[in-house]
Amino acid sequence: MRFLRFLALEFLLRGVLFAVLGTAALASLYFLSIGSPAEQYAEAFRSFILLLSGSSDFSAEHPGFSASRIIMSGAAITLPLAIASLLILVLATLSAAAMSTTSQYLESEYGRKASVNFLYPGKFLSALLSSVPLFVGFWVLGSAFGSNAPFIPIAFISVALGGLGWDAGRFLLADMRTQMDTTHTTVFTTLGLPLGRLFPLPGTYSGYLLSSSFPRFIPYLAGKVPAIIGGVTIAEIIFSFPGLGSTLMDALLSHNTDLLIASLFILLCVNAIVTFIVKTVLFLMYPRWYEKAV
Amino acid sequence: MKKLSECLQGAFIAILASPFILAWLPAIQAMLTGKVSAPYLDSLFSSFRQLSITLGSTLLVVSSVTIALGYASVQWPIVGKITASALDAIESVPAILIALFCYAPVSGYLAGHSGSSSAFVSLLVFVFAAALTTLPEALRGITLPLGDLYYRKYSLSFRSYGFTRSRILTVLLGTHIMKDAFKRTCAGILLKTLVLDCSFGFIIQLGFGSYGTPAHASPGALIAANRDALFAGGEPLLFWIPVIPLVMISMAFLIMFDDGKAKEI
Repeated sequence: MRFLRFLALEFLLRGVLFAVLGTAALASLYFLSIGSPAEQYAEAFRSFILLLSGSSDFSAEHPGFSASRIIMSGAAITLPLAIASLLILVLATLSAAAMSTTSQYLESEYGRKASVNFLYPGKFLSALLSSVPLFVGFWVLGSAFGSNAPFIPIAFISVALGGLGWDAGRFLLADMRTQMDTTHTTVFTTLGLPLGRLFPLPGTYSGYLLSSSFPRFIPYLAGKVPAIIGGVTIAEIIFSFPGLGSTLMDALLSHNTDLLIASLFILLCVNAIVTFIVKTVLFLMYPRWYEKAV
Repeated sequence: MKKLSECLQGAFIAILASPFILAWLPAIQAMLTGKVSAPYLDSLFSSFRQLSITLGSTLLVVSSVTIALGYASVQWPIVGKITASALDAIESVPAILIALFCYAPVSGYLAGHSGSSSAFVSLLVFVFAAALTTLPEALRGITLPLGDLYYRKYSLSFRSYGFTRSRILTVLLGTHIMKDAFKRTCAGILLKTLVLDCSFGFIIQLGFGSYGTPAHASPGALIAANRDALFAGGEPLLFWIPVIPLVMISMAFLIMFDDGKAKEI
C-alpha cells in the first residue's frame, strides 16, 4: 500500500503531471509573449497529443519530426549524461566527505594535524574550480575533442565546475560533522573498526557518519537534478550533440513551436525520471525518512 | 572589534570583486589601450559595467520580494504554503530553460531595435528570469530562520506581553541571525544570477549569433564571441581575459556565501 502511494505521488503526480503542467506553463508563457492567436494553442495541443501517442509525424505544421526521434535523443544523450553526472557527484562528494571527516577525527583524537593541513589545498582547488563558469570548461574540452568529446569528462566538468560539487560537498560535510559530536558516534569509535579514509564504506567510521546523514543528503540530491539537467543542456548545445538541448535551440531558432514543446516535454520528463530514481533510492533505503519528507 | 582574520577576508573579497569597480574607471581602460584592440576593450569594460547593473538590479528586486514574501509567509502561514508550492514547481525546471523561454519571444524585438530601449527590455526580461530562478532558494534562506526565531521561547514571551505578530517579526528581522541569513541569501542570489547571466549570454551568442543576442552586454557573450581564439591561429588571451575577472567575482561571492553558511552552522 505504501509503495502504491509512493508510485502515485512520485511517478504520477510529481513525475507525469509535473512534466505535462511544466510544459503547458512554459509553452503558454511563450505563446502569450508572442501574442499567438487561440488557433495556435489548439494546434500545439493537437501536436502534443500526437507526440504522446508516439506518432511518426507528430507535427502537422512541420512534418518530418518524428516523436520517436526526439524521445531517442533524450534517451541516448541527455539521460545518460545526467545520470553519469549524478553518479560522479555522489561518488566525489562521498569521497571528499570521508577524507575530511576522518582527518578531522584524527586531529581531534590523536593530534595529527598533517592530514588536516593536507585538506586545505583540496578545499581551495574545489572553490577555485567552482568559480570557473561551466561553459568555459566545456569549451576548453571542446577545443581539444571537438564534437567527439567523451561523456565521462563532460559529466565530470558538470560536477566540478559551476559550483554543483562544491555545494554538495559543503552540505554533506556540514551534516556529517554534526554527527561526529554525538554520543552514538563516540560509542561507535570504541569498536576499533577502520576509519574509511577514502570512501565511507559500511562498517567504517565515515560510513557510520554517512548512514546518519544519507537520509538528508538524498532529498538534497533530488533538489539538484534540475541544475544537473541545466548543465547537460548547456553541454549538448556547446558540443552540438543531437540531444534535447540542441533540439530545443534549433526549435527556438526556427520558431518551430511544435518541436519546441516536444523537446521541452521530453527534457522535463528526463528531469522527472532522474528525480524519481533518486527518490526511489530514498524510499527503498529510508522509508520513514521519505514519509517524513513528504 | 573585528578579528584580524575577518578584516583580511573582507579585504580579499574586495580585491576579488574589484573588476566591478575597475570597469567603471575610464583611467583603467585608457591604461590598457593599445594592449588589445579598442573594440574588444570597449566590449570588455561595457560587459562588466552591464553585469554590475544586472546583478544590482536583480539583487534589489529579488531581495525586496524575498523580504516581503518571507514576512508574509510567517505572518500568514497559508501564504507561505501556497508560495512554497509554487516556487517548488518553478525550482523543478532548469534555470537555463526558464531564461531561454523568457527570452525567446522577445528575441525578434531585441534584434530589430537598437539602443537604450532594447537594452532596457533585455535587462528587464533577464531580471524577471533571474528573479524566478533565484527566488525559491532566497525565500527559503529567509523564511526558515525567521520562522525558527518566531517560534522560540522569547518570541512566545513577546506575544504574552501583547506584542502583535507583525511587530515581533519586524524586531526579529533586525537580529544578527537574520542579518547573517540575509547576507548569505544575497551572496546566493548574486552567485546564481552571475552564473545564469554568463551561461545564458554564452549559449545565446553560440546559438543565435548576433540575432537575438541579449541587448545588454554580458561577459559570457563576449567569451562566446571570441571562442575561436582557442583554436589554431587564434589569440587565446582574448578568450581568457574576461574569464579571469569572472572567476575572481564568483570566488568573492562563494566566500561570502560560505562565510554566511559557516555562521549559520
